[in-house]
Amino acid sequence: MRKLIIKKEILTALRDVRLQVSGGILIVLMLTAVFVGWQGQKQIQEQRAKAQSAMYDTWLNQGNKHPHSAAHYGQFAFKPKPVLSFLDVGLDNYTGISVFLEAHKQNEVLFSAAQDSNGMTRFGEMTAALILQVLLPLLIIFLTFNIFSKEREEGTLKLIHAQGLSMRQLFMGKVWGAYLMVLLIFLPIILLAYLQLDQQSASLDSAVTTKFLLLTFGYAIYFLAFVLLCVLISAFAKNSGLSLLTLLGLWIVSCIILPKAATNLADKVYPTPSQFEFKKTIEDKVKNGIDGHNPSDVRLASLRQEVLDEYGVETIEELPVNWSGIAMQAGEEYTDQVYDAEFTKVENIFNRQNRLSEWAGFINPYLAVRNLSMALAGTDFHHHVAFARAAENYRRAFVKKMNKDMEVNHKPGIAYGDYSVGEEMWSSIKPFQYNLPDAATLLYNQWRSIVALAFWLVLLFSISMTYAPKIPKL
Amino acid sequence: MKMLFHILSFEWKTLWRSNTLKVLLLVVFGAGIYGIYFGKFEIDKQQKRIAKVQQYERQQFDSLMLWVELDTTITSNKEKYQQAVSPTGVGWNKHFTYYLTNNAPPAAGLCLGQRDLYPVYYGFNVTDLARQVNTGELANPMKLLTGNFDLSYVFVFLFPLLVVALFYNLYAGEKEGGTLSLLQSQSTSLRTILFSKGLLRLTMIWLLAAVLLLLSFALQGISFLENGVLFFQWLAIIYGYCLFWVVLMGAAVALRLSSALSAMLGLGIWLIFALITPALLNLFVLANEPLPNRAEMIHAVRTLNGRNWEHPKSFVWDRFYPENPQYNDGDTTNFSKWYYASFTLLDKEANALKAEFEKQVSKRNALLDQWQWLAPAAMVHEKLSTLSDTDRESHLEFVKEVHAYHDGLKELYYARIFKGEQFSSDDLQTLSDKL
Repeated sequence: MRKLIIKKEILTALRDVRLQVSGGILIVLMLTAVFVGWQGQKQIQEQRAKAQSAMYDTWLNQGNKHPHSAAHYGQFAFKPKPVLSFLDVGLDNYTGISVFLEAHKQNEVLFSAAQDSNGMTRFGEMTAALILQVLLPLLIIFLTFNIFSKEREEGTLKLIHAQGLSMRQLFMGKVWGAYLMVLLIFLPIILLAYLQLDQQSASLDSAVTTKFLLLTFGYAIYFLAFVLLCVLISAFAKNSGLSLLTLLGLWIVSCIILPKAATNLADKVYPTPSQFEFKKTIEDKVKNGIDGHNPSDVRLASLRQEVLDEYGVETIEELPVNWSGIAMQAGEEYTDQVYDAEFTKVENIFNRQNRLSEWAGFINPYLAVRNLSMALAGTDFHHHVAFARAAENYRRAFVKKMNKDMEVNHKPGIAYGDYSVGEEMWSSIKPFQYNLPDAATLLYNQWRSIVALAFWLVLLFSISMTYAPKIPKL
Repeated sequence: MKMLFHILSFEWKTLWRSNTLKVLLLVVFGAGIYGIYFGKFEIDKQQKRIAKVQQYERQQFDSLMLWVELDTTITSNKEKYQQAVSPTGVGWNKHFTYYLTNNAPPAAGLCLGQRDLYPVYYGFNVTDLARQVNTGELANPMKLLTGNFDLSYVFVFLFPLLVVALFYNLYAGEKEGGTLSLLQSQSTSLRTILFSKGLLRLTMIWLLAAVLLLLSFALQGISFLENGVLFFQWLAIIYGYCLFWVVLMGAAVALRLSSALSAMLGLGIWLIFALITPALLNLFVLANEPLPNRAEMIHAVRTLNGRNWEHPKSFVWDRFYPENPQYNDGDTTNFSKWYYASFTLLDKEANALKAEFEKQVSKRNALLDQWQWLAPAAMVHEKLSTLSDTDRESHLEFVKEVHAYHDGLKELYYARIFKGEQFSSDDLQTLSDKL
């Protein structure tokens, strides 16, 4: 009997011109988004990989020079385009893509795509995520708004009930019917998207299949929750018109208005410091000490005494090692320490701001799926920070190596210009390599969104089960 | 005419009794008020940052003004005095940092535009600008992505939805309410009746827009006297935009579909023009037209910097003096002169590359502009942002100002450096007046 209802729902849907048109548009959009998006992403990834290797070549071929000059000459880190970002571009247009790595200072990850574009960017990119999160729910609304109310208006509901079918069975039959229709559109296209992935994608992100499956699963849950919600409203609405208006109103509030309001509110609750304050704090703390009572010249003097004592000599000139190298590395490490503390502070502020919209997933399932999808596609804030950290660690490692070489090999008494190293040293620094965080880390970061999605599913199921028998038949 | 008035007054009475209408108007009005408040909040935040930077700059410069008066017979004063009067600074990185700020234009709070993507201040000293302007502002990318809930958002996104909501059952409401046959039996044609119903609704939407715009000027403290033209430009654009949507919905109503179908159709049109076409344009242009690799500029500057230092001093002189003959006194040995001349070369190299990048970016954005008519919502938003001086162009103007300011500083500094002179109190006064 249930099979019969599912079959009936699918047949009605397939015969409905409105659904044929809107479903058709959706499929065309989705195919465009997936294929064109993939082309664009491939092109961007190639460009960045090329830039990364070209810049590494300049490092290798910088010629013979003092290691500290090389540290100033510096290196670049380019953010690899996450493999699944063609499905959900997330924050990618708003975060920097490359960073210059040099001695003594932490540079910002710069040059976001949005800065180079006009106002149109702010309207978002047509990606699978936009279609699945915003447009497909609308199709679900069109599919289900009169799924009960129409039968009631035409008087068939009572007839079906008289056949001995419980309202619960009927309700679930309609839910599965509508849900199957949704999966019929969703699954083949998402499968096509998966087939786009090639050898190169796997080498960029070894966990790409896992992430892809989780992404698919996340969306499948989101759709099921949405179908349940729509069928519920259709079942209890006075008439089809009211059901449609309620659903459209809910859609506008949760997909268009709430996300913006939530993020705007977050910035008010947890204010963002300015770049000026951020840099000034670091500068002050490096100069005057983290506690404010340990100025840099005092730190340097005490370090000098320590080194002199260690080697049992009286003056710098008598040291068997290069004092400048030691002093510079100590300076680097102190700055690193200050920078890490301040950077983490800002990161925490942003995380707190974002957490507000993660919690809001319990009010609005759209937010939950949006955050989860961005994380799995590798385009959320955590990914940006992971890249910035990886680049910074790479900087620290190669600057430290340059300082160490200076300390050990640049003997005292030899002029700066008379000591140099060459390609052997440069090639001992391996090219910058950044691995995307694994699936477990992502899931842990987004546990609120996952729980929120599960919460919605359980909540809607229990409401449906409890109230289905009470659906008015007339 | 009398008939029209009669219909209008009757329709007004029915509309006014409907709770749905009141709720709708109230929601959009509330959103508008929030938008006004939010825009003001954001601009105030930017202005506070600007004030802080300016205050810091003033404080720092005021100490220089005090130090120049110090008695240098006292040893402890010497370094401070030197710092105030040396155009070359004392030691490394001891240059005075000047800040140029991009103060919020009067109507920035109505449409925040692209302003949140860029820094509203740059700090730089007299050395090369190229390595000092590679900086952004701390901003949560999530906030940049979701965008700003300002008044322009309410007008561009929510007003069309209001049009859809008020128009979708213009015809179907009568039919489904059973009053259609009554109307058709009247001597006035159904078309006139529907037209007057539409006219009344359009008037209400226009009125709401005008009220919100008036309130925004009042609440954000934007002067009517100085920005009267701006007010009417905004009003004209919004009225035109609302009319565009009313015409679209009118066409949808003319199809005489059921209320459910026209609601779906209306929302579909909204989706296409406000969401789908801009997103498709972005997909084809933004995601597929490559952006210049701006890291190239940093690379070019560091490479040239390396060459400046590796080569004999003549490498810099041969490139600097022909273009800056006013500084050429035949001296090719002085370190300071060589050092500062080299910064000019770095900036020249960087500016040439930047111009190249900008060309590439403009070409890409021109491609977007060419197709912009497909996305009226984005077009109107861009127009409002241009009117409010918050678009990308406005930021580029600011960057130009930064360059000009830096050039002005250089003139003052170089005049002293190349004569081997120190700053006089008058020089410092001139610099202080420039702050």
